[in-house]
Amino acid sequence: MKNTESLLKDEHFKLLSFLITSARGCVNEPVLYGPLRLVDAAARLIDIMKKEGKVTPEIEELQKLIEEKKDLVMYDEEGFINFLDELSKRLGEIIKKVD
Amino acid sequence: MEFMEIIKGRRSVRRFKDEKIPREHLLKILEAGIWAPSGSNIQPWEFILVTQEPTIEKIKLISPGLFGNPAALIICCINKKRAEKGGRLGENTALMDVSMAAQNMMLMAYSLGIGSCPIVSFNKTALKELLNIPEDVEPVLIISLGYPEFWPKPPKRRPLEEVVHVEEYGKPLEG
Repeated sequence: MKNTESLLKDEHFKLLSFLITSARGCVNEPVLYGPLRLVDAAARLIDIMKKEGKVTPEIEELQKLIEEKKDLVMYDEEGFINFLDELSKRLGEIIKKVD
Repeated sequence: MEFMEIIKGRRSVRRFKDEKIPREHLLKILEAGIWAPSGSNIQPWEFILVTQEPTIEKIKLISPGLFGNPAALIICCINKKRAEKGGRLGENTALMDVSMAAQNMMLMAYSLGIGSCPIVSFNKTALKELLNIPEDVEPVLIISLGYPEFWPKPPKRRPLEEVVHVEEYGKPLEG
């Protein structure tokens, strides 16, 4: 069992906190904040995967794309949705390559 | 710095340098807050200044809208007992008062070269627990503060011609 101190530095716990508080926030927030929180969580998950040596260059590119484009939600709704499509397309390409 | 320059220059900053903000600047920012207008002079605000890194880290855990590593946070709260003095309008007026105080603080921060971001995406219940905020005090906004890694570009504004109505609603501003 981990103690509280180490729990606060635990990347999985950080993601867990983010997911729970995002879930509550999404009840009242703008509709597109739901997708925003999910892609933000995806980027955080990639950080964890990096530390576990599970990240390919393609997955790293997904994270870069998220960091570059997630702010579109603030000022360009159409651009943000296009970014989600682009992200999905790239994910599809990654999955397609897997044997 | 020209006042309009300060208003137009302030941006929501979400990436900060690893640099502390001098205490006197934090106090100046807070002082700007308490000089905001307040309905019926109720001054329903309470501000919690957080500068300790471990506490900021804990607040980040419960604030999905808080990005980057700010050097300080100001938790803007409404003292509901004070707000009640404003009658049925008290709650709305208090929110406006705190908003004006927040704007004062963010503009003062910018004038000192400090970036800020107003954040409403945080978990109130968890924050109240974390910072021992009493039942009758409601956190409504977090302002993150720090020296920006860069100043973001300004998003487009709806033009005056679109948002200003002259003399009556629907009569646009001309020329």
